[in-house]
Amino acid sequence: MKEDKSIFPQALRNRLCLSIILSILILSAGCAGEKNIKFYRSDEIKGIERVAVLPFENLSSEKEAAKRIRRTVIAELLSRGVDVIEPGEVTRVLRELEIRSPTALSIEDIQKTGKKLKVDALITGSVIAYRISRGINVSYPEVTIQLMLIDTETGNILWSVWNTEGGPDFWVRHFGTEGKSLSETARDVVKKAFDTLF
Amino acid sequence: MSILRCYQRYLVFLLFLFSIITGGCASTTTGTFHINENVDFSYIKRVAVLPFENLTDDRSAAEVIRQLVISELLASGLVDVVYTGDVMAALKRQNIKDVTSLDTRQIRALGKDLKVQAVIVGTVEKYGEVRMGTITAPEVTITLMMAETDAGSIIWSVTKTRGGAGFMARHFGARPETLSETALKVVRDAVQTLYAY
Repeated sequence: MKEDKSIFPQALRNRLCLSIILSILILSAGCAGEKNIKFYRSDEIKGIERVAVLPFENLSSEKEAAKRIRRTVIAELLSRGVDVIEPGEVTRVLRELEIRSPTALSIEDIQKTGKKLKVDALITGSVIAYRISRGINVSYPEVTIQLMLIDTETGNILWSVWNTEGGPDFWVRHFGTEGKSLSETARDVVKKAFDTLF
Repeated sequence: MSILRCYQRYLVFLLFLFSIITGGCASTTTGTFHINENVDFSYIKRVAVLPFENLTDDRSAAEVIRQLVISELLASGLVDVVYTGDVMAALKRQNIKDVTSLDTRQIRALGKDLKVQAVIVGTVEKYGEVRMGTITAPEVTITLMMAETDAGSIIWSVTKTRGGAGFMARHFGARPETLSETALKVVRDAVQTLYAY
């Protein structure tokens, strides 16, 4: 058997390689960041069977983002068995009550809207980001939303969530694999937001 | 030979330690804060977050950060937060057009109207992507202040900034933060200075 005369014997070389690989994996994975979701859920949520989803505020640079996310929210609520008022009916009632800014209702407006639509709660929301962002070497989708569930009797906030999804994952950055589309990311962000409610 | 073996063991350990340390060296949040230690914060049960001042080029920046602050406060369970629509209605009732320069009388009036013990005001100084050589990275800088509605005095203020692509992102392809993640972290770090009290 040949004598290993190198400064770094085989066993140590193997250990060094393993340490380096493990370190790189820890760094890359560890830099994924903390959870990107913030939520509050009141103990008073019970008996919410029927809701109306108001038009969302669009704080993103994508013109139709608020409409898209609102549709996704309605679909997600329906898939979870919640009764949702038809959006056209919501628009009609807001017009009837002369509410010009559905994204900034006072408690009085919330109560009036709730009574007219015969719902237990209203869902309001904002789309904060809905875009394809450019990172260091790659492009990636980024969708950020905020949603609230407001009791139509008291005007209290029963549930609030802020969630962001997207960003370049490990496989996209290093192996150029196809990441999620903007629509898929939007569906994920809405689904995970509602996972904090149901 | 035994000395060399000793060094070899330390080399492996140092390499691992270096990795752990630099792995934590992603973008960090820096800033300052002040809190009035003579104030008993436990009496503050309900706050109103007023519209923030926007000093950036992004016209939505102030509202984005404001909503994040509201979410963070609600999620913390520390205080109840007045719904934003109600805040706007109260500002209209009190005939307040410029929230960036409220006087004591206006703060007291808002406190009574909204039944809150404190109001939070803020400024967004930076919100966007900045160019750093060949790469761009998100940067967010905010200032928040809390004024109690009894005396109208500032009892808490914090300035936080976060941004840039970390060492590991630039050189080893670690995942960089998105603008939303940077904003989330800077607001969380800012509000956390209140948790301790």
